[in-house]
Amino acid sequence: MKKFVALVGTNTVKSTNRKLLQYMKKRYADEAEIDVVELKGLPIFKKTKEAFVPQQARDMADKIDASDGVIIGTPEYDHSIPALLSSALAWLSYGIHPLMDKPVMIVGTSYGTLGASRAQAQLRQILDSPELKATVLPSSEFLLGHSLQAFDDKGDLKSATEAQKLDGLFDDFLDFVDLTDQLDHSKKLHEQQAATFSWDNGTTGDDK
Amino acid sequence: MVKLVGIAGSIGEQSYNRMLLEFIRDHFKKTVDIEILDINDIPVFNEDEDHDDNPAVHALARKISGANGVILATPEHNHTVPAAMKNVIEWLSNNVHPLDGKAVWIVGASYHTQGSSRAQLHLKQILESPGVNAFVMPGNEFLLSNAKEAFDADGNLKDSGTVGFLESVMKKFLTFMRVIEMLDAPDPKNSHEEDMESKHPVNTTVPDVDMTDPEWVEKAAEKTHAASGGDYVKLDRGLLTVDQLNYFLNSMAGELTFADDNNQFIYYNKKTDAAHMLAPRTPDQAGDPLSAVHPARVVEHVKQVLYALRTGESDVVSMPAQTGPNQHVMHYYRAMRDENRRYRGVNELVIDIMPILKYYLAATGQKLVKDPDAVPMSPITGLDAVTSASKHSDPTKADATSGASASKSVEEKPAADATSGASASKSVEEKPATDTTSGASESTEAVKPAAAEEPIDADALTGASEETSSETGYTSDDDSTPAKKPAAAPKPESESADTDATSGASES
Repeated sequence: MKKFVALVGTNTVKSTNRKLLQYMKKRYADEAEIDVVELKGLPIFKKTKEAFVPQQARDMADKIDASDGVIIGTPEYDHSIPALLSSALAWLSYGIHPLMDKPVMIVGTSYGTLGASRAQAQLRQILDSPELKATVLPSSEFLLGHSLQAFDDKGDLKSATEAQKLDGLFDDFLDFVDLTDQLDHSKKLHEQQAATFSWDNGTTGDDK
Repeated sequence: MVKLVGIAGSIGEQSYNRMLLEFIRDHFKKTVDIEILDINDIPVFNEDEDHDDNPAVHALARKISGANGVILATPEHNHTVPAAMKNVIEWLSNNVHPLDGKAVWIVGASYHTQGSSRAQLHLKQILESPGVNAFVMPGNEFLLSNAKEAFDADGNLKDSGTVGFLESVMKKFLTFMRVIEMLDAPDPKNSHEEDMESKHPVNTTVPDVDMTDPEWVEKAAEKTHAASGGDYVKLDRGLLTVDQLNYFLNSMAGELTFADDNNQFIYYNKKTDAAHMLAPRTPDQAGDPLSAVHPARVVEHVKQVLYALRTGESDVVSMPAQTGPNQHVMHYYRAMRDENRRYRGVNELVIDIMPILKYYLAATGQKLVKDPDAVPMSPITGLDAVTSASKHSDPTKADATSGASASKSVEEKPAADATSGASASKSVEEKPATDTTSGASESTEAVKPAAAEEPIDADALTGASEETSSETGYTSDDDSTPAKKPAAAPKPESESADTDATSGASES
């Protein structure tokens, strides 16, 4: 059975992204083991001479290393991903590179109609940066709008159409994980770049 | 001087973006005052928490609110804005919105050849989201690449071309900022659209405090962390403590009132209590919308004055108030404008000019006579286009444009009915008989036309003020009429404050 790490993109107690990830953990329990991981408690990313990475981020990196893929649930703050999630991704690419070539599925919920569409687009760009170079499931937007009304008392998605759509995407993601395993031609190059990457001189091949 | 704040997006120990901001601050210090704000102590944003719990967030919001514009310097982390920068913006788009309507200029330094192009694009998107609602200067991207090699040992940019470009963009930003600041200026199309309820907040309006609250001053002061007591205030031109400013304003020769461009009555110099004022105001009225301090019947007149000042049709409107025999109280409404010539409110001066007139006559050995050739004129100056409307004949005719043609013969005035205070006061000097509308000139007698004596008068005045200080002149006049003032006060008071502003008009 596949193992996935699901990152809750926000720290608020009322997060509907957390609800969505918990729903996925329950619904796909037969197909995958999903570990819902909180980002709350992570400090804002900061560079230091010692390249210090907080323990919480290291633990997270270990979990991701040991997993087959990552699911990120993001809300949208000011047309973009929360600073906390951005911070987590910065820690996860600061001397450590657990997301390198790791299959990633993005989901997002929002209180309004748009379902975090702009945040998801930015997140894709971010995950594609040389320091992260994750492999994101293409053509797979799952935007859950009006998320406050989307779940029933048991935490299940009320809309059968939405549930079906998510089922389809998750099946795709399972196949994508297997597929990604075979995409190893550029892996070596990515690893090499990551190893030599330094934000202090920006030597990442595509920048210099 | 224009005030900007700058925020460097990374909180690392070494930041080329902070260096860039410091260079900008130092390089432009003669034209712009730039304060670089520290974001190191801002906690991780959490929408469950209120910003009021955090003094660092609060202080940051206050500084941004007080600035004319903001410069954000962003590096690029993971193809986006650093989390530290985004984190600050999240705090500033939740409970407080200091970036709302603010002009923002994005610059960026990076180690890479790409500058911080992607981060700048993301930052633009973020700043334009509805919760932030800033005005980002379009175009003019300033990307400093290879930042490590860009500065010399003193922190100056080495490349003169880069410095030149920076200068040209700063010049554009200063213009952009002026344009943005004009955007929230109330823009009534005619005097009727003057919003006496003050429902169109401007960038100085204190939000979330009830304007009609009797303690508006205290509550608004708390909300804005207003300077008080011994706090120093930098002025054009001088430096005073708030206490000193109060001593100064409360000892002015006249009663002063400040109504802002949102028609909110926000200040008067509380020299004395209402019963002893020429135009009574009470402490609880400060903060009121102008509608709350005027009876309904004069509202249209007040709107005409405001509109004439706001549009620049007049710089000063003056009118007499109902007064006793030994008083001639004048109201002078002056438009206040900022450095961009934007209307920022009305400065009202209420002053009894009789002591000045009496002093002048005594000092120059003259007396007043009726001028048999005097041409009747409106006692109101600066409202040429709209005086006819004071008759309430037809509200549609009160429009600035149609008002002129609607002028009634009673209101006919000579060309001397100028819009500027200078020419208005000149006409008084030349033709004392134009005072026929006031009781003052009727109770005094005539001597000779002042016009013939003009040069001598001027000398006499100068001589007098050289010998005795102008204060003594005022004081002796005040002493001669102490009993009259309280006697005259109850009249306007019964109509409620400010009505005297237009009572002259209805009198005529």
